Amino acid sequence: MQRPAPAKFELLVRRDGEEDFELRQVASVIGYLNSRPRRIDADSYEVSELRSRVAAAPGFILKNKTTDRFLLLSAQERFLWDQMDGATSLQEIATAYVLEYGEFDFEIIPSLLRKLQRAQLLTFEPRSRLRAALARNRGRVIVKAIELALTSLERIRISTHNVQGFFQALYRYGGFLVFTPFAAVACTMLVVVGAAAAFMLFRDVHDMLAGFGRHTLRGILMVKLLFFASVALHQFVHGLACIHYRRRVREFGFTFLHGFVPTFYIDVTDIFMATRRARVVTAVTGALVHLVLGAIAFIVAAEAPTGSFTQAFAAASGIIQWQALVVALYPFCFIEMDGYHVLVDVLGVPTLKHDAIAYAKGLLTGAGRIERGSEELLWIAYIVLSTLSVAGFIAFNIWIIVSATH
Amino acid sequence: MQASADTLAFLRDVRVFESFSDPDLTVVTERLRQRDLRRHQILFREGDSGDEMFIVRRGTMLISKAVTGKVEQVLVRVEPFDFFGEMSLFDGSPRSATAQAETDVELLVLGRDSLQAMTETAPHAAAAFFYAMVQVFMERLRRSTQQVAEATRWGLEATGLDVEAR
Repeated sequence: MQRPAPAKFELLVRRDGEEDFELRQVASVIGYLNSRPRRIDADSYEVSELRSRVAAAPGFILKNKTTDRFLLLSAQERFLWDQMDGATSLQEIATAYVLEYGEFDFEIIPSLLRKLQRAQLLTFEPRSRLRAALARNRGRVIVKAIELALTSLERIRISTHNVQGFFQALYRYGGFLVFTPFAAVACTMLVVVGAAAAFMLFRDVHDMLAGFGRHTLRGILMVKLLFFASVALHQFVHGLACIHYRRRVREFGFTFLHGFVPTFYIDVTDIFMATRRARVVTAVTGALVHLVLGAIAFIVAAEAPTGSFTQAFAAASGIIQWQALVVALYPFCFIEMDGYHVLVDVLGVPTLKHDAIAYAKGLLTGAGRIERGSEELLWIAYIVLSTLSVAGFIAFNIWIIVSATH
Repeated sequence: MQASADTLAFLRDVRVFESFSDPDLTVVTERLRQRDLRRHQILFREGDSGDEMFIVRRGTMLISKAVTGKVEQVLVRVEPFDFFGEMSLFDGSPRSATAQAETDVELLVLGRDSLQAMTETAPHAAAAFFYAMVQVFMERLRRSTQQVAEATRWGLEATGLDVEAR
């Protein structure tokens, strides 16, 4: 019998205006990918390892202490079970699986879910507890205002899914050059010259941003606009890298990151199906755009007349570009940027941030310390480094703004 | 409303008027009012009182029911020659859903008083109208049952719940 198409709802979502609305088709598969399976309470189950003389990898026995039902899990299924904490969506769990094992079995998750449900080992949580809590307390003006602000920002999303052809053409008509030894040599030379220019600027020019004069605000806005364009270029290079490794670019668009940071984004998650080298190259090359642009900016600043607007503009652009490079590649900042993805890929700990925050939260709220041997050290290191880094980043930016305005 | 040839020709293709004789249709047409809605204009909201039904002559109406917050489920799109709002016409109960124009819309409005007048002056036509209306109600009931089944299927697919297993 032919399998029916996934069930769909057509929903009408009202905007702030009384009559304005947006229609959305929600297929059941979207609900499935966003669902957050949660293990039953830790007191209600136990896991024990099952060593076999035949199989190389150990198996595990999972027992529901309430119903006395047993399940036999493979190491991969045990890994998935550990992810099912009620906060991680199935889509994120699948990504974690690929990062851990470097491959994906499309049947393993649905099959495990069925087994766990039959053994009454699983519950499901709503997509966002924050949004659910806000919806419950909508009567309060402040809550309603927060909800409205979040909803409004979340709605601003301009994207297209039909981009594979565009990126293939971009790659064919010159984009492939980015991945040649010639490009690597040219970029290295440019960066060396740019670094020398930056060094000379910092050594010889007392106040690089003096050229803004009375036009500080205009200067900063122009720098930010140029930077915004470079973020789009950053995403384009991620897309080109994805094409270089013969994977698919699924989406390109503009949105508000975390609900408030305007940014361009690209969906290159298909690269998870490629080799680790491909994943690392895809992550790193996008960020290198800022390295190259920063170098060019410093060269321009060094060549521009001292105290001119051009010098100030180029120097500020250079600083912000290299700062973006650090933010993108530096993994310890609580944000899952390119460097973070490379780190968790190399360490083989796909849920590092999530686990580290849960660990810190447990310590701070007195809910108890999660004991996990050497992983604890990794979590502590991540939290400490990230906290110090974020504080340092904020201090550095305050210093830049204060320097520019005085 | 004047019984123009265009309006009469249009009403002949509206299911509840299919069996009407020319004189009866002319009488009904004279009792209809025309109402125009601009795109996205709300005609009535769920919970409003009402005693009129609407026939779509041009454009598309969306009938939706509140689900949560600002989210409503689209129950049906009403296209030309189809009608909606008849439940309040019969029992005077509050509107069970919200009706809003998806495009610019031209409606023909039939009020309860017009229906009562038609029952008295043209009982044969009124009987045909009510018979056709019962058939439409049965179709809509079947559609609602189908929607409930679809909603259940959506929930099962979205949770991956395996209910076939023991």
